[in-house]
Amino acid sequence: MKRFRQRPGEISEFSDLPLWQKADTIDLLYVGYGLLIVSLVVASYLLGALQWLPHDPNALNLNLLLAGPGTPGHLLGTDFMGRDLLTRLVLGIQAYFLPGLMAVASALFGGTVLGVVAGYRGGGAGLIVTFLGNLIDSFPRLVLILLVIAAFKPDIWYIMAVIGISNVPAVASLVQGKIAMLREKNFIEAAVALGLPTRTIIAKHILWYNCKALLIIQATLGMAEAILMETSLSYLGFGVQEPTPSWGNMVQSGANYFLQGNLWPSTAPALAILFTILGFHLLGDGLNNLLEGKRGR
Amino acid sequence: MSASLLKIDNLRTYFYSRSKRAFIRSVDGVSLAINRGETLGIVGESGCGKSVTALSVMGLITATPGVITGRIDFANGTLHRNLLDGLDQSVRLSEEEGRIMDVVKDSGAWQRQSDRLQRGVRGGEIAMIFQNPKASMNPFEPVGAQIVEAVRLHTEHTGKKEAEQRALHWLERVRIDSPRLRFHNHPYGLSGGMCQRAMIAMALAAEPSLLIADEPTTGLDATIQSKIVDLLAELKAEIGITTLLISHDMGVIGRLADRVAVMYGGRVVEEGGAQQVLAGGEGNHPYTRALIASIPGAAEVRQKSYLQAIEGDVLDTINIPAGCRFYERCNRVTEAVRERCADCEPQLFDAGSGQRVRCWLFAP
Amino acid sequence: MSESLLEVIDLKKHFRQRRGLFANLRGAEGVIPAVDGVSFYLKEQETVGLVGESGCGKTTVGKTILGLTGATSGKVIFAGHEITAMGGEPLRALRSSMQMIFQDLDAGLNPKMRIEQILREALTVHHRPSDAECARRIHELLDQVKLKSNKLSQYPHELSGGEKRRIGLARVLAVGPRFIVADEPTSALDVSIQAQVVNLLRDLQQDLALSFLFISHDLRIVELMSHKVAVMYLGKIVEMGVSERISHRPAHPYTRVLWTSLVEKQNREAQPAAASGAWGVFDFERPSAGCRFAPRCPVYQAAGRPAICTDAASEPPLRELSSGHYCACHFPLS
Repeated sequence: MKRFRQRPGEISEFSDLPLWQKADTIDLLYVGYGLLIVSLVVASYLLGALQWLPHDPNALNLNLLLAGPGTPGHLLGTDFMGRDLLTRLVLGIQAYFLPGLMAVASALFGGTVLGVVAGYRGGGAGLIVTFLGNLIDSFPRLVLILLVIAAFKPDIWYIMAVIGISNVPAVASLVQGKIAMLREKNFIEAAVALGLPTRTIIAKHILWYNCKALLIIQATLGMAEAILMETSLSYLGFGVQEPTPSWGNMVQSGANYFLQGNLWPSTAPALAILFTILGFHLLGDGLNNLLEGKRGR
Repeated sequence: MSASLLKIDNLRTYFYSRSKRAFIRSVDGVSLAINRGETLGIVGESGCGKSVTALSVMGLITATPGVITGRIDFANGTLHRNLLDGLDQSVRLSEEEGRIMDVVKDSGAWQRQSDRLQRGVRGGEIAMIFQNPKASMNPFEPVGAQIVEAVRLHTEHTGKKEAEQRALHWLERVRIDSPRLRFHNHPYGLSGGMCQRAMIAMALAAEPSLLIADEPTTGLDATIQSKIVDLLAELKAEIGITTLLISHDMGVIGRLADRVAVMYGGRVVEEGGAQQVLAGGEGNHPYTRALIASIPGAAEVRQKSYLQAIEGDVLDTINIPAGCRFYERCNRVTEAVRERCADCEPQLFDAGSGQRVRCWLFAP
Repeated sequence: MSESLLEVIDLKKHFRQRRGLFANLRGAEGVIPAVDGVSFYLKEQETVGLVGESGCGKTTVGKTILGLTGATSGKVIFAGHEITAMGGEPLRALRSSMQMIFQDLDAGLNPKMRIEQILREALTVHHRPSDAECARRIHELLDQVKLKSNKLSQYPHELSGGEKRRIGLARVLAVGPRFIVADEPTSALDVSIQAQVVNLLRDLQQDLALSFLFISHDLRIVELMSHKVAVMYLGKIVEMGVSERISHRPAHPYTRVLWTSLVEKQNREAQPAAASGAWGVFDFERPSAGCRFAPRCPVYQAAGRPAICTDAASEPPLRELSSGHYCACHFPLS
């Protein structure tokens, strides 16, 4: 059963409506939730900077190993070395948020440049970009990361650099596809015919007006992916290294005690990962729908 | 009206604009009847609801809410069926000020029932040719095989060899050149004109009792258009198949149709014999008249005079005015009827010899 | 040739075909000659009509003239500038005097920009008007294309087809061109709207002293709009002359076929079988050699397939039959 109801009275035009009216409620909820996650990340940095943490993240309390949640002074309990879980959870995101941002930024920047070259210039440049993209795509990413770790050191920044670079082809092909679509619709030709300079066409018409939503959704997906990647690497012992807290190494170290009935040290960071990744995905999805007016029409 | 092969009664097909939170009243109470053996032309501009009417008959409306009320009676030989029978079970309407403002529809149940009713009718009794023949044929199967499939599915020629003979016969019938060669061609190997011929062959191969042709010449080159129209005229003369012809092209309608219905803003505004309707004179709806006048004729071109345009824009069928749907653009309003035109929508008035006109000027 | 604004000399544009698997299987050529030696000229305030069926290369001619695609060979000279030898900044600057209306109603109308932004952008491409001047010009433009100013705050997708066409026109007029290539400006519109736009284009030509290259497949509208008409078939001009002459006493069989098919389609009394024998044509076919139109040509059929028509060495050149009337046919109709 589906219900359709006409708004009574005068039917107004789309552009006259304020954003929250023409948007779908579900999209606003998505974006709201995503922004909540982002603000929690910002809050984490603030708390860290202001030293408003309940405990020192590295302070060991050997009398209180693996304490359950609700223990006085330790809201979420402690881990296997007696460190405060809540504190480490709050700081855990910081281990990869900035490196993740760097990965996303380099993927977007490189992808946009290559995509514009391939899509706008076309011809040989396009073929080279497509070939390079296929080359990078066909190389197993995990192997690439392990190679880099072996050559340098297991540092989160190196790992994220690899992730950023390996995401370049995906972004490039999206941008290239968008430009091809605009070309199909005579959009670019019309802009050239009017006499607009090439830089205006690329920067304003192609990138700002038409690729904005696409790049935003790629950025949020990239962030989510960076978190997931670090978690997998932590499991192999190559992620963020102890004693620096990260959700990935917290899950990994907690998992050793999981079967003994101490669920919390690994479940708490796992839930944090779940809700954060969900937040980034929904943020991207919602923003895309709002900006593109996908559901609106 | 026992002679009617298809009788559409008060059909409403609505869509929904999410951004405006309003209904697009594409087909808004259309009643039409097609008699056995005749060609009924529906003519109108984009958005008038002519194609949506045809798709509603075929049960091919996929957008929501889609068809919401009406009857479509199909009667051929022993087969009598209302193609919308029992569908009102799955839809609930509420009206405000005589206008449907709220629709609750169980689209799944509607579709299942509609497909049940269409069984044996769609594709078999009623066949359709579309505007874009290339897009409506399977690109991965040779043309011949697609026609054979239609023959075996819908006629008594179910044997493989026999069906192939029939298919070839139909390809020859639509005067495709080198039919034996085309039989094995894929649609992409055919030109637009040849593809349309193959599409017509496929529709006719099912030996339907009603053919719906939706803009059969649009998008083809002028020289090819006239050939397709020739072909349709020839088939009409020889097979005498009942046809519902939909086109925006007055020339095509004038050449092929016996009776014509003119649609505007989701309604039939005039209907009658082709000659009377396309006369475009005093005896016609102001819209029909203006539409015919706006086509550049030989005389206007020679004198390089201005074309007689209809002012304003085609009605968007969302904001439907209370009065006559054509009132805003009409240049024939007299002071005597102005008030009625603005406030109250006219019904189809009888204008003699089977012609009916939805205009207050024709009120008795 | 007094004061020609635009001269096109033996223009050729060949597209390289992407050789896909299917193309290879069918043994298709690697090069498509979309425009194959087109010459004509256009005077100040004159309209030249370019007619032909889809795929005959008429749109490509328009785009090549404006330098939107490079020419393979030949010259285009616009107001003393050789477009075919220009590029970059000088060509861009020249666009303030030559413009194009695209067949696609949405071309140039960025869906994310309001109408006012679209017009403002067009006004500021080549000039630097003040804000007040800009606002004045925007209203003037809307006046010229007969639109109300309440459209300014809307987005393109809220407009009807006719309104989109008018805004597209206003956008083009904003740069102040002398010459406009109009590529099928009415074909995407409803009949009643088509008439409005044709009338508008004629008014604008008068008021703003514009020259048009009017590309269309609709013979009636081309004849109505144009002083001269050129008929294209498969990349070549087959007949050219004053519009009355072309439509009423055509010399090339193809022009005649175009005209009769227009009339035949509407003529209830037409005898289909007889018609296809006399002036009918077969479906589209690529030429083998010689005259491009020969495979579909009724004169060629009626004359018993003379060898000269399919002789590879003797493709008929565009000859002057009478003053200003050119035709490329071995057997022109009288």
